[in-house]
Amino acid sequence: MEEREYYGKYYEPLQELKGEVLQWLDDIVAAIAGEQGEVPVEHIRSRIKSPEGLQEKLKRKGLQENVEEAMCQISDIIGFRLVTHFVGDVYRIVQYIKEDGRYTVIKEKDYISSPKQNGYRSYHVILECPFCGTENERLRVEIQIRTIAMDCWASLEHEMRYKKHIENAALIEKELKRCAGEMASTDLSMQTLRDMIRKE
Amino acid sequence: MRLLYAEDEMGLSMAVTEVLKMEGFEVTAVMDGLQADEILQKEHFDMVILDIMMPGMQGTEVAENMRRRADYTPVLLLTAKAETEDRIDGLNKGADDYLAKPFAMGELVARVNAMIRRNREYQKTILNVSNVTLNLESNELSAISGSLILSAREAKLLAMFLEKEVVSYSIDDIVTQVFQGDVGTDEITLYVAYLNNKLTQIHGKIRLIEEDGKIHLKKEESV
Repeated sequence: MEEREYYGKYYEPLQELKGEVLQWLDDIVAAIAGEQGEVPVEHIRSRIKSPEGLQEKLKRKGLQENVEEAMCQISDIIGFRLVTHFVGDVYRIVQYIKEDGRYTVIKEKDYISSPKQNGYRSYHVILECPFCGTENERLRVEIQIRTIAMDCWASLEHEMRYKKHIENAALIEKELKRCAGEMASTDLSMQTLRDMIRKE
Repeated sequence: MRLLYAEDEMGLSMAVTEVLKMEGFEVTAVMDGLQADEILQKEHFDMVILDIMMPGMQGTEVAENMRRRADYTPVLLLTAKAETEDRIDGLNKGADDYLAKPFAMGELVARVNAMIRRNREYQKTILNVSNVTLNLESNELSAISGSLILSAREAKLLAMFLEKEVVSYSIDDIVTQVFQGDVGTDEITLYVAYLNNKLTQIHGKIRLIEEDGKIHLKKEESV
């Protein structure tokens, strides 16, 4: 189904909010860049959840499978992803997001310190934004912040998860988890080296 | 293999040291219990041979102190024939075996080799201090929530401090004895920084502290 058709009256406000939050994130990144003399982010992406993805999520959560329910219950209809070079930049961005105060942070999850069972690492922040169209005039959006290494890992894990049939699935899962641990370890070694270089 | 040998009879000490060196061991010989106790708190050995009757501090007491510091290096006690009580006492206080004087050099060497072999076979692969666990087979460092895979050298360095929590080692000794000179002192400092950042990330409640050219482990209840 087409996005515009599925989201109906919410479509335009969703696009608008996405643009607004993206601009705000750009400003935050620019502020950090101004302060430390270098852009902390490799890239920022934004997306509106595909109708298929959203329906699947409603079903998985045992919710009514319609867009009104989704607008109230699902926090990643609008999603943003900031990909950084270094782990320290992830935490700096989170700190700026929280201190800025323009949108209320209602939930944060540090999957970098506490990775998911499969090895997934990322920092998730859920914001509540003013939104005309829903009953309470609020909408939650999700921001994911992670390093290039974590992003690279997540894209491969995603590919594996959505492939129907994989030989040696158990072995690949185990190896993916090991790689996640090694990459996270290297991320921190790189951060340590960067701190040392900057101190001297 | 590094071996500490504490013996107050000069003649015997020289003879045994010579034999063990010929067997390929690197032997540090000390003449009394106090010296043994002191050097064990600074340096790493693969095996310790202690005479029971020594001036200053008895061999049994040295062994007891080691175990109290969570130092589980194998200990062989050397006892005189009449010291049955002492042997029992020594074994109870943490020694692994004893050999009665006078002994045949061949038997001493065989026992030392057997103890080192046994220790290696039973060496722990999972080390645990506070909320931190290190798996020496996979080099996986984990705390309650997170885990990371360490490099072989980081794991080896951290393992020393997890094995003997209360011991501090000089960086020079770590370079020469643990890494056989394969790394420099500045690399050890770097590994300590790596490890501390990694421990911080997974909310591990221990840190390695570098102070005056030495490193020790510190438990942090507040982190």
